[in-house]
Amino acid sequence: MSYSYSLLARALLPEMMLVAGALLALTYDLILGRRHTLGERRSAALWIGATALVAALYDSVSIGVLGPVYGHTLRLDQLALATRVGVLGLALLTLGVAAGVKATRHPAEYVAIILFATTGFTLMAAAQHLLVAFVALELASLSLYVLAGFDKDRRESAEAALKYFLFGGMATAFLLFGFSLIYGATGELDLTRIALVLGHNKMTLLLALALVMVLVAFGFKAAAAPFHLWAPDAYEGAPTPSAALIASASKLAGFTLFLRLLWPGLGALAGDISTAGNTGGWLTLVALLAGASLLLGNLAALAQSNIRRLLAYSAIAHTGAMLLGVIAAQIAGAGPLFYYVATYGVATAGAFGVIAVLETNGGGQKITDLAGLSRRSPLLAGCLAVFILSLAGIPPLAGFFGKFAVFAAALKVGGVAGPAGWLTMLAIALSAVALYYYLVVLKQALVAAPAPANSGRIRVPAAAAFTLVVAAALIVVLGLFPSLLLNFFELRPV
Amino acid sequence: MTPLHLCLLISTGLFCIGLAGALARSNTILVLLGIELMLNAANLNFIAFWRFGPPSPPANGMIFVLFSIAVAAAEAAVGLALIIAVYRHQNNIRLQDATRLKG
Repeated sequence: MSYSYSLLARALLPEMMLVAGALLALTYDLILGRRHTLGERRSAALWIGATALVAALYDSVSIGVLGPVYGHTLRLDQLALATRVGVLGLALLTLGVAAGVKATRHPAEYVAIILFATTGFTLMAAAQHLLVAFVALELASLSLYVLAGFDKDRRESAEAALKYFLFGGMATAFLLFGFSLIYGATGELDLTRIALVLGHNKMTLLLALALVMVLVAFGFKAAAAPFHLWAPDAYEGAPTPSAALIASASKLAGFTLFLRLLWPGLGALAGDISTAGNTGGWLTLVALLAGASLLLGNLAALAQSNIRRLLAYSAIAHTGAMLLGVIAAQIAGAGPLFYYVATYGVATAGAFGVIAVLETNGGGQKITDLAGLSRRSPLLAGCLAVFILSLAGIPPLAGFFGKFAVFAAALKVGGVAGPAGWLTMLAIALSAVALYYYLVVLKQALVAAPAPANSGRIRVPAAAAFTLVVAAALIVVLGLFPSLLLNFFELRPV
Repeated sequence: MTPLHLCLLISTGLFCIGLAGALARSNTILVLLGIELMLNAANLNFIAFWRFGPPSPPANGMIFVLFSIAVAAAEAAVGLALIIAVYRHQNNIRLQDATRLKG
């Protein structure tokens, strides 16, 4: 146990870069912004933000794996390193999406808040202490609420942000109450010592209540059914770059945080779901959440006519598969789950990028507004096809190997006959359902003829085009060489 | 009944009142108030466990409460800002009027 400040400062270099970048963007806009047009201010803010993100990326990679930092407050292991790189990359993608939409009236503030949210994500990736986890989660959540409501001239945006905030605030209260009960039952706040105390303790009423509270909060934040109600509204109303960030980076950071909280921290209370007559533990609850999310997400997505709501319900369905990955982490470690969430994040952020360009060019949110996309802009249609097919899980794209890795790991938890095996079968069957609604989108984009009123060619801004091509290339490369990412993790239980 | 039990009962009651308020009210400010009650119930828990629990060397629970009060204040600020943004569009803050997004 060492409390070295220099090590702490070194471990937090990426966060310092992000905060410095946010402050620099604000100061630059305040001092020099008055002389420039809105477009110039926006590109300055975007460049500053992108530079800060790249600097943070460089720092996280050069720091590498440090192990426990400052007592057991932070833990920089492989998972933390991979998640940091992942969320920083997804935030860069979000800035690329932001370059493709109409400028908001306050571009510097928008970029600064994206950087603050990213700071929260990178801290969540490394948090090993309940207080750090709570503060990091709140930093990220509060920034996301503001981002969702940033386009306050539109009624939809304000409404989406309010709903997101009310659900999120309630989740925070549940989380804090759950944390207080964990503190009461163990007398400790850092996960390593909580695990030590729980190792020789039985499940008590207090701990059971704490588990339920924490999992309800987790369900809210990750948009798992039946706590998903905010997600479709938030995805529909929020400005497109914000929706991309909420759908991608916040999922990645959130799942890393809860994987760390559940397996290394509360692993002693996991119970056992390898056979049907199970002992009580949080695995049962996670399995229930996963099953409900898979069913509800996939079935409700069938009925959607709005592309953003469709992506939201597909996100709920994917959350179900990710929860399956949390269960499978018992056997296969964090690798499959991380691969799944990261590639899902790239694909969904890319899909939002395509939607962003379309809406800037006068398109609506209906799926039928995609009609004739392949003739109006072959680049957009090609990228959208890659993203959607990856979400559907078609080989050789990354989405397929994500599903494959998670399902294969989940089948090892008690085999086909156990509850985890049944869930995996359900997930595989529902993948076929999912294929239908994804193909409906692609049919409009690739086959249908454009509506006469809306058939001109679409001009794609250079920054947005570059971002989309990079994201699509990433999906293809990671799909062809999944071992690039999977081999990074040791194959051992978390 | 020990003092710890009494404190836990009070905080559980506070949490339930807050939850009922947050779920049942249609006035957005009152929903926010309910959420704040729930957060304060958790704070009360931390203090009670810190005061009556087994002695732990650093004042862990105490420090957690200080942080969570600050976070709750920030959350209230963001929440009120969003409520104002909605008020500008619909001229009231009733939740049942916020129905632009559905499906």
